[in-house]
Amino acid sequence: MIEVEKLSKRYDGRLVLDGIDATFAPGEMTALVGPSGGGKSTLLRCLNGLESFDAGVVRVGSDTLAPGDVRAQGEKVRSIRRRVGFVFQQWHLFAHRTALGNVTEAPMHVKGVGRKEALERGRELLEKVGLSHREDAYPSELSGGEQQRVAIARALAMEPEVLLLDEPTSALDPERVGGLIDVLEQLRSEGLTLVSVTHEMRFAQELASRVLVLYGGRIIEEGPPDRVLASPHHERTRAFLGLGRVAALRTMGA
Amino acid sequence: MPACGAEQDSGLARVRRTGELRWGADAQGGEPYAMEDPDAPGGMRGFEVELAEALARELGVKARFVQNDWSNLIPSLERGGFDVALNGMEVTPARSGRILFTRPYYVFNLRLLARQDDAAVTGMAALRGQRVGTLANSLAWDLLQRSGVEAVPYEGVEEPYIDLEQGRVRAVLMDDIIAQRYGQVRPGLRLVGDVGEGYYAIAVRQGDEDLREALDAALGRIAHSGELRAIFQRWGIDSAAQQRMVDWTDAQTREVLSNTHTARMGWGQLVLFLQAAVVTLLVSAGAMVLAIPLGVGLALTRLYGPGWAGRLATAYVELFRGTPVLLQLYVLYYGLAGVLRLEPLSAAILGLGLNYAAYEAEVYRAGVLAVPRGQLEAAMALGMPLKLALRRVIMPQAFRVALPGVTNDFIALLKDSSLVSVISVVELTKRMTITAVDVRSWLIPGALCALLYLAMSYPLSRLARRLEARLERG
Ligand SMILES: Nc1ncnc2c1ncn2[C@@H]1O[C@H](COP(=O)(O)OP(=O)(O)OP(=O)(O)O)[C@@H](O)[C@H]1O
Ligand SMILES: [Mg+2]
Repeated sequence: MIEVEKLSKRYDGRLVLDGIDATFAPGEMTALVGPSGGGKSTLLRCLNGLESFDAGVVRVGSDTLAPGDVRAQGEKVRSIRRRVGFVFQQWHLFAHRTALGNVTEAPMHVKGVGRKEALERGRELLEKVGLSHREDAYPSELSGGEQQRVAIARALAMEPEVLLLDEPTSALDPERVGGLIDVLEQLRSEGLTLVSVTHEMRFAQELASRVLVLYGGRIIEEGPPDRVLASPHHERTRAFLGLGRVAALRTMGA
Repeated sequence: MPACGAEQDSGLARVRRTGELRWGADAQGGEPYAMEDPDAPGGMRGFEVELAEALARELGVKARFVQNDWSNLIPSLERGGFDVALNGMEVTPARSGRILFTRPYYVFNLRLLARQDDAAVTGMAALRGQRVGTLANSLAWDLLQRSGVEAVPYEGVEEPYIDLEQGRVRAVLMDDIIAQRYGQVRPGLRLVGDVGEGYYAIAVRQGDEDLREALDAALGRIAHSGELRAIFQRWGIDSAAQQRMVDWTDAQTREVLSNTHTARMGWGQLVLFLQAAVVTLLVSAGAMVLAIPLGVGLALTRLYGPGWAGRLATAYVELFRGTPVLLQLYVLYYGLAGVLRLEPLSAAILGLGLNYAAYEAEVYRAGVLAVPRGQLEAAMALGMPLKLALRRVIMPQAFRVALPGVTNDFIALLKDSSLVSVISVVELTKRMTITAVDVRSWLIPGALCALLYLAMSYPLSRLARRLEARLERG
């Protein structure tokens, strides 16, 4: 369970998040959609304290994060980060560590898990994302899809309650998107809270239980994907989806 | 190589043709030899200036001073940079075998000084196994080498006395002119006694025999006329012993110059070279061991520290990178001697370490900046504190980028370590220059020195390349 209340953020005086209120429940997958520059990535990064904000709170379970906590970069924000995993658009795997090393790094050095246990758990996670055979490979030796799966395993190794993903499909071909959906579907069914920024409507449709449309730093529409994507209430959503459909068709080669 | 255009001239003919006697000396040799005249910019004063002018006048030409580093006066003379070297040039067997000397113009004593509070130093015999300072390749140096003491070579006249006051050497043996002006004026020091004597003479190139003869005759004339001792009197260096310069005979010259014994490269020298190589390695490795963590600290402070600390680190880097390391060694060893009494070797390691830390800081900073920003974000997103993220994620990757630069700096440091000879540490280069003068040849000592440097640096670059290849994969 993770929620934000009246979250606001400015960049150089310009409001990019404008009083966001949202709750993300366990076992629920939320898709954050909206036009470019709408504030999706910024919101996602605020959710685990990677980005500071000016007003409002982030709440994970009973822990709260106020603007000052993020600026202080203290234990409070780190404890939130341990409970909220983040998968970057470009994955950012540790370039000097193998797949398995990436997955065991944080449990061993942040949580203090023993080496043997961390390796065992790390291998389990790599198996879960279908990469057992690549555990000794370095990031530079892995394909984009493989790197992404290692990144997911790395985040899961901290046993988070929430997993945040920024445009997880952007670097994958359509076939690989299917594989990603399978992995995330399983995590959702295990009770993880999933929040993903996406441009890919098929991905949102298949996986999300809820869609939030962000425009100009506000949530302008929210609801189940079937409803929001098929008959949006807001004119901006319609405009955005119209473009979105054309883009989606183009990428599918139609 | 003879001066261009004058291949056929003999020395004297050349001087007459050009109308000037070019005499080489080092203005930094100081009082009372030859120094810049503070009252007449560009002019020179000193008893040797007056001597050169008197000799030139006797030859019917003008004297022209040529500035040259003292330790290189003889090689420069041989290359033809000037006609004579006239600068407290002591008659030593090694020099007599290499160049021509005129009859001497001054007789000096080798004067031993010790600390006031150190009554145990009663003479050379009491100094066995002790550190005794002097100028390298001087007559005193030769005497110390034969006396069973540990001769400590200096490059200036003040420094050995500073070290004597600091207790870093037990005694100092120098020419009395120097001892009187630079040593005996220090209240903490006392005269132990004079333990030998020697002569200053004018050095002339081999082949310029006629110039030497003309100078001998001129010297004889100004000695007999009383002009020579009048000069000495003006400079406060006259003594009854100088009458011998007036009554000097050619037979005496022959006798003084007959000893041209020179050391030869042998096993003993080889051992000294190996010892010096160990010193070079020790100083370089010690300095690097100091410079690396300090450099990493400075780099991280600049990148991630609070503003004031970052500015302080930047100031450190600019200060140590922007001023000569020679000056830093000087300040550390002599300048701060009153508050921080370091042994030469520790001062060498500390001085070079502090200096190289500034360079390492920049190498690591570049390394850290080369690590993509996402790496730090990914580490932070997993809940790592900044320090852990730097240690586990950023520094290992930065190190990979920095490795070639660090190797390069270490090899540069191996060679820069030769600078520590200014604080009396005998490392490889100093050993080579001392030996080269002793054996009258740069060839073998030079080759041996180069070989030893290579033997240290080459394996290092090989090792670094292997390490780079191993890190390449990840
Ligand atoms: N570091 C920054 N400095 C200044 N402005 C920024 C910064 N990062 C983002 N912004 C601005 O904040 C707004 C929201 O950006 P954000 O990245 O959250 O958009 P987004 O919805 O993720 O867009 P996209 O779909 O293109 O990824 C944009 O107007 C962007 O220009
Ligand atoms: Mg974005």
